[in-house]
Amino acid sequence: MTMPLDAEPALEDATLLRRYAQGDAAAARLLTARLTPRVYAHAVRVLGDRAEAEDVSQEAMLRLWRMAPDWRAGEAKVSTWLYRVTANLCTDRLRRTRTAPLDDAAEPSDPAPGAEARLQASARMDALQAALNTLPDRQKQAVVLRHIEGLGNPDIAEILGISTEAVESLTARGKRALATALSGARAELGYTDDTD
Amino acid sequence: MTQTDPHMKDLDALLASSQAPAPSQDLMVRILHDALAEQPVPMARQRRSWMARIAPLIGGWQGLGGLVAATCAGLWIGISPPDNLPEGLSAFLNVQDMTVQQDPGLNGFGWDLEEG
Repeated sequence: MTMPLDAEPALEDATLLRRYAQGDAAAARLLTARLTPRVYAHAVRVLGDRAEAEDVSQEAMLRLWRMAPDWRAGEAKVSTWLYRVTANLCTDRLRRTRTAPLDDAAEPSDPAPGAEARLQASARMDALQAALNTLPDRQKQAVVLRHIEGLGNPDIAEILGISTEAVESLTARGKRALATALSGARAELGYTDDTD
Repeated sequence: MTQTDPHMKDLDALLASSQAPAPSQDLMVRILHDALAEQPVPMARQRRSWMARIAPLIGGWQGLGGLVAATCAGLWIGISPPDNLPEGLSAFLNVQDMTVQQDPGLNGFGWDLEEG
């Protein structure tokens, strides 16, 4: 009796990809469930548009499926390869479209009783996304990968095709730019300058 | 410290609390559909002709072509051998010498007469 793939959480992406290439439909389902949310989340953060992010996610995953028979184990992590494809697709999209300025972000709504915290959290996320949209593409990708998706600098360097020193520089500059972009809305978002 | 410290602290907290936007069910279905459509057919399910199974054993289609050409040439030479084959090749092919030897006119009876 064979165990279902879902019962093998430690199964590596590369192993699943090899099984997919051998015709294992369960591996296709598990890879879709495991990788699509990561690709989509990154694309939404970078593009700031869910419809565009869906297109990018589908295209990135399609490239993964088509590359599967030629995947050589040990050369790179599947997730790193997929992030790189997604990052490049996002860059291509951003070159063709203009990013929305911070002023276009949804204004924080007047809080209703009982929903103040939820609305404030939502407003903060909107403001964060709007601030991300003001960053240059590479800075934004580096900040999202490092500070939101929690990847290490070596992985980010491989994804963006730059050195780890360049990643550190990009993320530092990106965070400073984010703080500056958000500084004007601190009071509206419920932040204070008190440090106690 | 500087004035930006609380800003950075709040930004770190904001980034840490940022929840990943979840993909729609429709997107998941579309991607899985792509996956199954692009998935290679398992080897066990592939139906290969006997020719496709034999070809790799004899060097692929190039090897098979050479084998057919050599077979045809051998058949042709066997049925209709050329006139001026090298001697070694003639012997190999067992080609008969067409020279007619002259009968000296002797037979067993003649020899018997001479010996008495």
